[in-house]
Amino acid sequence: MNTTIKLLCAWSGPALAIAVLGGLLLANVLPFPPAAFMSPDEIARFYTQSTTRTLTGFALTSFCMGFAFPLTGLIAVYLVRMEGRTPILTFTQLSCGAATGVLLTTPMILMAVCAFRPDRSPELIQLLNDAAYLLLFTPIAPFCIQNTAIAMAIFNDRNPQPVLPRWVAFANLWLVFLFLPGLLPFFFHEGPFAWHGVFVFWLGLASFGGWATMMGLVLRQAVLHDAAAAAGT
Amino acid sequence: MSRQTPRPEELELPEFLMPYEASPPAPAPPAATAAPDLHQSGLWIFILGDMTLFGAFFAGFALQARSQADVFAGSAETLLLGVGAVNTLILLTSSLFVVVATRAVAADDRPAAARALLATLLCALLFAGLKLTAYGVELSAGYTPTTNLFFTYYFVLTGIHLMHVVVGMALLLVAWRGLRREAGGVSVSFVEGAGIYWHMVDLLWVVLFPLLYIAWLP
Repeated sequence: MNTTIKLLCAWSGPALAIAVLGGLLLANVLPFPPAAFMSPDEIARFYTQSTTRTLTGFALTSFCMGFAFPLTGLIAVYLVRMEGRTPILTFTQLSCGAATGVLLTTPMILMAVCAFRPDRSPELIQLLNDAAYLLLFTPIAPFCIQNTAIAMAIFNDRNPQPVLPRWVAFANLWLVFLFLPGLLPFFFHEGPFAWHGVFVFWLGLASFGGWATMMGLVLRQAVLHDAAAAAGT
Repeated sequence: MSRQTPRPEELELPEFLMPYEASPPAPAPPAATAAPDLHQSGLWIFILGDMTLFGAFFAGFALQARSQADVFAGSAETLLLGVGAVNTLILLTSSLFVVVATRAVAADDRPAAARALLATLLCALLFAGLKLTAYGVELSAGYTPTTNLFFTYYFVLTGIHLMHVVVGMALLLVAWRGLRREAGGVSVSFVEGAGIYWHMVDLLWVVLFPLLYIAWLP
Protein backbone atom coordinates (compact mmCIF):
# COMPACT_ATOMS: atom_id res chain seq x y z
CA MET A 1 0.00 0.00 0.00
CA ASN A 2 1.03 3.52 -0.68
CA THR A 3 3.08 5.00 2.15
CA THR A 4 2.04 8.54 1.23
CA ILE A 5 -1.66 7.73 1.60
CA LYS A 6 -1.00 6.08 4.96
CA LEU A 7 0.97 9.11 6.12
CA LEU A 8 -1.84 11.43 5.02
CA CYS A 9 -4.29 9.34 7.06
CA ALA A 10 -1.94 9.51 10.05
CA TRP A 11 -1.62 13.29 9.79
CA SER A 12 -5.40 13.64 9.68
CA GLY A 13 -5.25 12.90 13.44
CA PRO A 14 -3.33 16.03 14.48
CA ALA A 15 -5.14 17.95 11.71
CA LEU A 16 -8.47 16.92 13.23
CA ALA A 17 -7.44 18.22 16.65
CA ILE A 18 -6.05 21.52 15.37
CA ALA A 19 -8.84 22.28 12.90
CA VAL A 20 -11.67 21.40 15.27
CA LEU A 21 -10.26 23.38 18.18
CA GLY A 22 -9.43 26.26 15.80
CA GLY A 23 -12.95 26.20 14.35
CA LEU A 24 -14.53 26.23 17.79
CA LEU A 25 -12.30 29.16 18.75
CA LEU A 26 -13.47 31.01 15.64
CA ALA A 27 -17.10 30.23 16.51
CA ASN A 28 -16.58 31.68 20.00
CA VAL A 29 -17.47 28.31 21.54
CA LEU A 30 -13.91 28.14 22.89
CA PRO A 31 -12.86 29.16 25.46
CA PHE A 32 -16.33 29.66 27.03
CA PRO A 33 -19.45 28.13 25.45
CA PRO A 34 -22.98 29.38 26.23
CA ALA A 35 -23.73 27.94 29.67
CA ALA A 36 -26.49 25.49 30.49
CA PHE A 37 -28.03 27.87 33.06
CA MET A 38 -28.36 30.85 30.65
CA SER A 39 -31.78 32.31 29.85
CA PRO A 40 -33.17 32.01 26.31
CA ASP A 41 -32.30 35.65 25.61
CA GLU A 42 -28.70 35.20 26.71
CA ILE A 43 -28.35 32.09 24.56
CA ALA A 44 -29.88 33.88 21.57
CA ARG A 45 -27.50 36.80 22.02
CA PHE A 46 -24.57 34.40 21.73
CA TYR A 47 -25.65 33.43 18.22
CA THR A 48 -26.64 36.92 17.04
CA GLN A 49 -23.52 38.79 18.10
CA SER A 50 -21.19 38.09 15.19
CA THR A 51 -23.15 35.73 13.00
CA THR A 52 -20.76 35.47 10.06
CA ARG A 53 -17.77 34.66 12.24
CA THR A 54 -19.79 32.11 14.23
CA LEU A 55 -21.11 30.42 11.08
CA THR A 56 -17.63 30.30 9.54
CA GLY A 57 -16.39 28.58 12.69
CA PHE A 58 -19.16 25.96 12.58
CA ALA A 59 -18.64 25.37 8.86
CA LEU A 60 -14.91 24.81 9.40
CA THR A 61 -15.47 22.53 12.40
CA SER A 62 -18.19 20.43 10.78
CA PHE A 63 -16.05 19.95 7.67
CA CYS A 64 -12.86 19.09 9.55
CA MET A 65 -14.62 16.52 11.77
CA GLY A 66 -14.35 14.44 8.60
CA PHE A 67 -10.64 13.95 9.32
CA ALA A 68 -11.81 11.40 11.89
CA PHE A 69 -12.63 8.96 9.06
CA PRO A 70 -9.19 8.50 7.44
CA LEU A 71 -7.68 8.20 10.92
CA THR A 72 -10.21 5.48 11.78
CA GLY A 73 -9.39 3.72 8.50
CA LEU A 74 -5.66 3.69 9.22
CA ILE A 75 -6.21 2.44 12.78
CA ALA A 76 -8.26 -0.39 11.27
CA VAL A 77 -5.42 -1.40 8.94
CA TYR A 78 -3.06 -1.75 11.89
CA LEU A 79 -5.64 -3.44 14.11
CA VAL A 80 -6.34 -6.11 11.49
CA ARG A 81 -2.65 -6.98 11.49
CA MET A 82 -2.89 -7.68 15.20
CA GLU A 83 -6.07 -9.73 14.89
CA GLY A 84 -5.47 -11.67 11.69
CA ARG A 85 -8.34 -13.54 10.11
CA THR A 86 -11.07 -12.85 12.66
CA PRO A 87 -10.92 -9.07 12.94
CA ILE A 88 -13.83 -8.48 15.34
CA LEU A 89 -12.19 -5.62 17.21
CA THR A 90 -11.16 -4.08 13.89
CA PHE A 91 -14.77 -3.97 12.72
CA THR A 92 -15.91 -2.68 16.12
CA GLN A 93 -13.31 0.08 15.99
CA LEU A 94 -14.26 0.92 12.41
CA SER A 95 -17.98 1.23 13.08
CA CYS A 96 -17.45 3.15 16.32
CA GLY A 97 -15.02 5.54 14.62
CA ALA A 98 -17.56 6.17 11.88
CA ALA A 99 -20.29 6.79 14.45
CA THR A 100 -18.08 9.20 16.41
CA GLY A 101 -17.39 11.22 13.26
CA VAL A 102 -21.11 11.54 12.51
CA LEU A 103 -22.10 12.21 16.12
CA LEU A 104 -19.58 15.04 16.41
CA THR A 105 -20.55 16.65 13.09
CA THR A 106 -24.27 16.82 13.91
CA PRO A 107 -24.04 19.24 16.88
CA MET A 108 -21.91 21.60 14.78
CA ILE A 109 -24.73 21.75 12.23
CA LEU A 110 -27.33 22.26 14.98
CA MET A 111 -25.29 25.20 16.30
CA ALA A 112 -25.11 26.57 12.78
CA VAL A 113 -28.92 26.27 12.61
CA CYS A 114 -29.09 28.47 15.72
CA ALA A 115 -27.05 31.18 13.99
CA PHE A 116 -28.78 30.66 10.63
CA ARG A 117 -31.98 32.57 11.57
CA PRO A 118 -31.01 34.96 14.37
CA ASP A 119 -34.54 36.47 14.42
CA ARG A 120 -36.00 33.13 15.55
CA SER A 121 -37.71 33.08 18.95
CA PRO A 122 -35.10 32.81 21.76
CA GLU A 123 -36.89 29.78 23.25
CA LEU A 124 -36.43 27.88 19.99
CA ILE A 125 -32.76 28.86 19.82
CA GLN A 126 -32.35 27.62 23.39
CA LEU A 127 -33.97 24.30 22.45
CA LEU A 128 -31.61 23.82 19.50
CA ASN A 129 -28.67 24.89 21.63
CA ASP A 130 -29.60 22.33 24.34
CA ALA A 131 -29.86 19.62 21.70
CA ALA A 132 -26.51 20.61 20.17
CA TYR A 133 -24.54 20.57 23.43
CA LEU A 134 -26.09 17.40 24.81
CA LEU A 135 -25.38 15.74 21.48
CA LEU A 136 -21.79 16.99 21.50
CA PHE A 137 -20.82 15.55 24.90
CA THR A 138 -23.14 12.77 26.06
CA PRO A 139 -22.91 10.08 23.32
CA ILE A 140 -19.57 8.76 24.57
CA ALA A 141 -20.29 5.05 24.12
CA PRO A 142 -18.90 4.74 20.55
CA PHE A 143 -15.76 6.56 21.60
CA CYS A 144 -15.27 4.48 24.76
CA ILE A 145 -15.86 1.23 22.87
CA GLN A 146 -13.51 2.34 20.08
CA ASN A 147 -10.72 3.03 22.58
CA THR A 148 -11.33 -0.22 24.42
CA ALA A 149 -11.26 -2.16 21.14
CA ILE A 150 -7.92 -0.57 20.22
CA ALA A 151 -6.51 -1.44 23.66
CA MET A 152 -7.75 -5.05 23.57
CA ALA A 153 -6.33 -5.57 20.09
CA ILE A 154 -2.92 -4.30 21.21
CA PHE A 155 -2.97 -6.53 24.31
CA ASN A 156 -3.82 -9.58 22.19
CA ASP A 157 -1.21 -8.82 19.52
CA ARG A 158 0.81 -12.05 19.12
CA ASN A 159 3.17 -10.79 16.40
CA PRO A 160 6.86 -11.28 17.29
CA GLN A 161 7.36 -7.57 16.58
CA PRO A 162 4.33 -5.81 18.14
CA VAL A 163 2.40 -3.74 15.59
CA LEU A 164 1.89 -0.86 18.02
CA PRO A 165 3.61 -0.26 21.39
CA ARG A 166 1.71 -1.43 24.46
CA TRP A 167 1.61 1.97 26.14
CA VAL A 168 -0.82 3.05 23.39
CA ALA A 169 -3.27 0.47 24.78
CA PHE A 170 -2.98 1.84 28.30
CA ALA A 171 -3.31 5.43 27.06
CA ASN A 172 -6.51 4.47 25.22
CA LEU A 173 -7.95 2.89 28.37
CA TRP A 174 -7.11 6.03 30.34
CA LEU A 175 -8.98 8.11 27.75
CA VAL A 176 -12.09 5.99 28.32
CA PHE A 177 -12.13 7.22 31.91
CA LEU A 178 -11.42 10.80 30.85
CA PHE A 179 -14.58 10.66 28.74
CA LEU A 180 -16.84 9.24 31.45
CA PRO A 181 -17.86 12.66 32.90
CA GLY A 182 -19.30 13.34 29.42
CA LEU A 183 -22.44 11.47 30.51
CA LEU A 184 -23.14 13.90 33.34
CA PRO A 185 -24.46 17.03 31.50
CA PHE A 186 -27.86 15.31 31.41
CA PHE A 187 -28.22 16.01 35.11
CA PHE A 188 -26.72 19.45 35.71
CA HIS A 189 -27.48 23.03 34.70
CA GLU A 190 -24.56 24.45 36.66
CA GLY A 191 -21.31 23.35 38.25
CA PRO A 192 -18.25 21.54 36.91
CA PHE A 193 -20.25 18.66 35.41
CA ALA A 194 -22.70 20.74 33.34
CA TRP A 195 -21.89 20.85 29.62
CA HIS A 196 -19.97 24.11 30.04
CA GLY A 197 -18.21 22.78 33.16
CA VAL A 198 -14.48 22.21 33.27
CA PHE A 199 -14.75 18.39 33.59
CA VAL A 200 -17.03 18.08 30.59
CA PHE A 201 -16.19 20.87 28.17
CA TRP A 202 -12.46 21.37 28.55
CA LEU A 203 -11.63 17.87 29.66
CA GLY A 204 -13.74 16.39 26.85
CA LEU A 205 -12.31 18.56 24.09
CA ALA A 206 -8.73 18.20 25.38
CA SER A 207 -9.08 14.42 25.60
CA PHE A 208 -10.52 14.13 22.11
CA GLY A 209 -7.86 16.39 20.62
CA GLY A 210 -5.14 14.62 22.57
CA TRP A 211 -6.36 11.20 21.47
CA ALA A 212 -6.49 12.15 17.77
CA THR A 213 -3.02 13.70 17.94
CA MET A 214 -1.53 10.75 19.84
CA MET A 215 -3.00 8.10 17.53
CA GLY A 216 -1.94 10.08 14.45
CA LEU A 217 1.66 10.45 15.62
CA VAL A 218 1.96 6.84 16.83
CA LEU A 219 0.62 5.54 13.52
CA ARG A 220 2.90 7.88 11.59
CA GLN A 221 5.85 6.29 13.37
CA ALA A 222 4.54 2.80 12.57
CA VAL A 223 4.03 3.71 8.90
CA LEU A 224 7.56 5.09 8.63
CA HIS A 225 8.89 2.00 10.39
CA ASP A 226 7.09 -0.24 7.87
CA ALA A 227 8.40 1.79 4.94
CA ALA A 228 11.96 1.58 6.27
CA ALA A 229 11.62 -2.19 6.80
CA ALA A 230 10.25 -2.64 3.25
CA ALA A 231 13.05 -0.55 1.77
CA GLY A 232 15.64 -2.55 3.70
CA THR A 233 14.72 -5.85 1.99
CA MET B 1 -20.47 -26.23 -7.98
CA SER B 2 -18.35 -26.19 -11.13
CA ARG B 3 -15.54 -24.25 -9.52
CA GLN B 4 -13.34 -25.68 -6.81
CA THR B 5 -13.05 -23.63 -3.66
CA PRO B 6 -9.60 -22.03 -3.75
CA ARG B 7 -7.23 -22.95 -0.97
CA PRO B 8 -6.43 -20.11 1.46
CA GLU B 9 -2.98 -19.45 0.02
CA GLU B 10 -4.47 -19.03 -3.48
CA LEU B 11 -6.88 -16.34 -2.36
CA GLU B 12 -5.96 -12.81 -3.27
CA LEU B 13 -6.14 -11.20 0.14
CA PRO B 14 -5.35 -7.57 0.88
CA GLU B 15 -1.78 -7.14 2.06
CA PHE B 16 -2.88 -6.33 5.61
CA LEU B 17 -4.64 -9.70 5.93
CA MET B 18 -1.36 -11.59 5.50
CA PRO B 19 0.35 -12.71 8.67
CA TYR B 20 2.50 -9.84 9.81
CA GLU B 21 5.79 -11.73 9.56
CA ALA B 22 4.91 -12.95 6.02
CA SER B 23 4.41 -9.48 4.60
CA PRO B 24 7.81 -8.07 3.57
CA PRO B 25 10.09 -9.99 5.94
CA ALA B 26 11.13 -7.34 8.38
CA PRO B 27 14.72 -7.57 9.59
CA ALA B 28 15.50 -6.49 13.14
CA PRO B 29 14.76 -2.76 13.03
CA PRO B 30 17.66 -0.37 13.45
CA ALA B 31 17.86 0.94 16.99
CA ALA B 32 17.18 4.52 15.94
CA THR B 33 13.69 3.80 14.57
CA ALA B 34 12.66 1.10 17.04
CA ALA B 35 9.62 1.98 19.11
CA PRO B 36 10.44 2.37 22.80
CA ASP B 37 9.91 -0.98 24.48
CA LEU B 38 7.86 0.00 27.50
CA HIS B 39 5.76 -3.19 27.81
CA GLN B 40 4.22 -3.41 31.25
CA SER B 41 5.58 -0.02 32.24
CA GLY B 42 2.87 1.38 29.94
CA LEU B 43 0.49 0.49 32.75
CA TRP B 44 1.89 3.43 34.69
CA ILE B 45 0.68 5.81 31.97
CA PHE B 46 -2.81 4.62 32.82
CA ILE B 47 -2.33 4.63 36.59
CA LEU B 48 -0.71 8.07 36.77
CA GLY B 49 -3.10 9.44 34.15
CA ASP B 50 -6.13 8.22 36.04
CA MET B 51 -4.79 9.60 39.30
CA THR B 52 -4.26 12.93 37.53
CA LEU B 53 -7.96 12.92 36.59
CA PHE B 54 -8.94 12.38 40.23
CA GLY B 55 -6.36 14.96 41.27
CA ALA B 56 -8.18 17.47 39.06
CA PHE B 57 -11.50 16.46 40.67
CA PHE B 58 -10.00 16.94 44.15
CA ALA B 59 -8.58 20.34 43.18
CA GLY B 60 -11.95 21.46 41.81
CA PHE B 61 -13.66 20.25 44.98
CA ALA B 62 -11.18 22.03 47.25
CA LEU B 63 -11.38 25.29 45.31
CA GLN B 64 -15.17 25.40 45.34
CA ALA B 65 -15.41 24.21 48.95
CA ARG B 66 -13.62 27.37 50.06
CA SER B 67 -16.38 29.62 48.73
CA GLN B 68 -19.26 27.49 50.08
CA ALA B 69 -17.82 26.17 53.34
CA ASP B 70 -21.17 26.29 55.19
CA VAL B 71 -23.03 24.37 52.50
CA PHE B 72 -20.28 21.76 52.27
CA ALA B 73 -20.04 21.27 56.04
CA GLY B 74 -23.82 21.03 56.42
CA SER B 75 -24.12 18.52 53.60
CA ALA B 76 -21.18 16.37 54.71
CA GLU B 77 -22.88 15.90 58.11
CA THR B 78 -25.72 14.01 56.45
CA LEU B 79 -23.42 11.36 54.92
CA LEU B 80 -23.27 7.93 56.57
CA LEU B 81 -19.88 8.25 58.24
CA GLY B 82 -19.97 4.71 59.65
CA VAL B 83 -20.55 3.12 56.25
CA GLY B 84 -17.73 5.21 54.78
CA ALA B 85 -15.36 4.15 57.55
CA VAL B 86 -16.27 0.45 57.21
CA ASN B 87 -15.80 0.69 53.45
CA THR B 88 -12.35 2.22 53.99
CA LEU B 89 -11.39 -0.74 56.19
CA ILE B 90 -12.82 -3.18 53.63
CA LEU B 91 -10.74 -1.68 50.82
CA LEU B 92 -7.58 -1.59 52.91
CA THR B 93 -8.11 -5.26 53.77
CA SER B 94 -8.68 -6.07 50.11
CA SER B 95 -5.37 -4.43 49.22
CA LEU B 96 -3.69 -6.70 51.77
CA PHE B 97 -5.20 -9.74 50.03
CA VAL B 98 -3.89 -8.42 46.70
CA VAL B 99 -0.40 -8.26 48.17
CA VAL B 100 -0.76 -11.85 49.39
CA ALA B 101 -1.97 -12.89 45.92
CA THR B 102 0.85 -11.24 43.96
CA ARG B 103 3.45 -12.71 46.35
CA ALA B 104 1.91 -16.17 45.97
CA VAL B 105 1.90 -15.85 42.18
CA ALA B 106 5.54 -14.79 42.20
CA ALA B 107 6.32 -17.85 44.35
CA ASP B 108 4.36 -19.99 41.85
CA ASP B 109 1.79 -20.97 44.49
CA ARG B 110 -1.23 -20.53 42.23
CA PRO B 111 -3.90 -22.08 44.52
CA ALA B 112 -2.94 -19.71 47.35
CA ALA B 113 -3.01 -16.77 44.94
CA ALA B 114 -6.47 -17.79 43.69
CA ARG B 115 -7.76 -17.97 47.28
CA ALA B 116 -6.39 -14.51 48.06
CA LEU B 117 -7.95 -13.07 44.91
CA LEU B 118 -11.29 -14.61 45.83
CA ALA B 119 -11.06 -12.85 49.20
CA THR B 120 -10.28 -9.59 47.38
CA LEU B 121 -13.32 -10.09 45.16
CA LEU B 122 -15.56 -10.67 48.17
CA CYS B 123 -14.25 -7.44 49.74
CA ALA B 124 -14.99 -5.62 46.49
CA LEU B 125 -18.53 -7.00 46.40
CA LEU B 126 -19.08 -5.96 50.01
CA PHE B 127 -17.77 -2.46 49.26
CA ALA B 128 -20.04 -2.06 46.23
CA GLY B 129 -23.05 -3.38 48.14
CA LEU B 130 -22.50 -0.99 51.05
CA LYS B 131 -21.92 1.93 48.68
CA LEU B 132 -25.15 1.23 46.78
CA THR B 133 -27.04 0.93 50.10
CA ALA B 134 -25.62 4.31 51.17
CA TYR B 135 -26.74 5.83 47.86
CA GLY B 136 -30.22 4.42 48.43
CA VAL B 137 -30.44 5.89 51.94
CA GLU B 138 -29.17 9.29 50.77
CA LEU B 139 -31.44 9.44 47.73
CA SER B 140 -34.52 8.42 49.71
CA ALA B 141 -33.67 11.17 52.24
CA GLY B 142 -33.98 13.60 49.35
CA TYR B 143 -30.30 14.28 48.64
CA THR B 144 -29.56 14.04 44.92
CA PRO B 145 -26.61 15.06 42.72
CA THR B 146 -28.39 18.35 41.98
CA THR B 147 -29.17 19.26 45.61
CA ASN B 148 -26.02 21.38 45.88
CA LEU B 149 -22.42 21.43 44.77
CA PHE B 150 -21.27 19.17 47.61
CA PHE B 151 -23.67 16.42 46.61
CA THR B 152 -22.75 16.91 42.96
CA TYR B 153 -19.13 16.16 43.83
CA TYR B 154 -20.09 13.43 46.30
CA PHE B 155 -22.20 11.44 43.85
CA VAL B 156 -19.98 12.02 40.81
CA LEU B 157 -16.67 11.28 42.53
CA THR B 158 -17.87 8.22 44.44
CA GLY B 159 -19.82 7.12 41.33
CA ILE B 160 -16.76 7.26 39.08
CA HIS B 161 -14.80 5.53 41.84
CA LEU B 162 -17.46 2.81 41.98
CA MET B 163 -17.07 2.31 38.22
CA HIS B 164 -13.35 1.81 38.85
CA VAL B 165 -14.26 -0.79 41.47
CA VAL B 166 -16.47 -2.61 38.95
CA VAL B 167 -13.68 -2.60 36.34
CA GLY B 168 -11.28 -3.85 39.03
CA MET B 169 -13.67 -6.67 39.93
CA ALA B 170 -13.76 -7.74 36.27
CA LEU B 171 -9.93 -7.79 36.17
CA LEU B 172 -9.71 -9.75 39.44
CA LEU B 173 -12.32 -12.21 38.18
CA VAL B 174 -10.33 -12.84 35.00
CA ALA B 175 -7.15 -13.31 37.07
CA TRP B 176 -8.91 -15.62 39.54
CA ARG B 177 -10.39 -17.81 36.80
CA GLY B 178 -7.02 -17.94 35.06
CA LEU B 179 -5.22 -18.98 38.24
CA ARG B 180 -7.65 -21.82 38.90
CA ARG B 181 -6.78 -23.41 35.57
CA GLU B 182 -3.82 -25.79 35.74
CA ALA B 183 -1.18 -23.85 33.81
CA GLY B 184 -0.79 -20.90 31.53
CA GLY B 185 -4.29 -19.57 32.23
CA VAL B 186 -3.07 -16.14 33.15
CA SER B 187 0.35 -14.54 33.25
CA VAL B 188 2.14 -13.30 36.35
CA SER B 189 2.27 -9.82 34.85
CA PHE B 190 -1.50 -9.80 34.39
CA VAL B 191 -2.07 -10.61 38.06
CA GLU B 192 0.47 -7.94 39.02
CA GLY B 193 -1.15 -5.42 36.68
CA ALA B 194 -4.61 -6.11 38.10
CA GLY B 195 -3.09 -5.81 41.59
CA ILE B 196 -1.53 -2.43 40.80
CA TYR B 197 -4.87 -1.25 39.44
CA TRP B 198 -6.63 -2.44 42.60
CA HIS B 199 -4.15 -0.61 44.82
CA MET B 200 -4.93 2.55 42.85
CA VAL B 201 -8.67 2.06 43.44
CA ASP B 202 -7.91 1.67 47.14
CA LEU B 203 -5.64 4.72 47.20
CA LEU B 204 -8.25 6.91 45.51
CA TRP B 205 -10.82 5.93 48.14
CA VAL B 206 -8.34 6.63 50.92
CA VAL B 207 -8.19 10.21 49.61
CA LEU B 208 -11.93 10.44 48.84
CA PHE B 209 -13.04 9.32 52.29
CA PRO B 210 -11.33 12.06 54.34
CA LEU B 211 -12.10 14.67 51.67
CA LEU B 212 -15.85 13.99 51.64
CA TYR B 213 -16.54 12.62 55.13
CA ILE B 214 -13.84 13.67 57.59
CA ALA B 215 -12.66 17.13 56.55
CA TRP B 216 -15.99 18.65 57.62
CA LEU B 217 -16.27 17.18 61.10
CA PRO B 218 -16.43 19.89 63.79
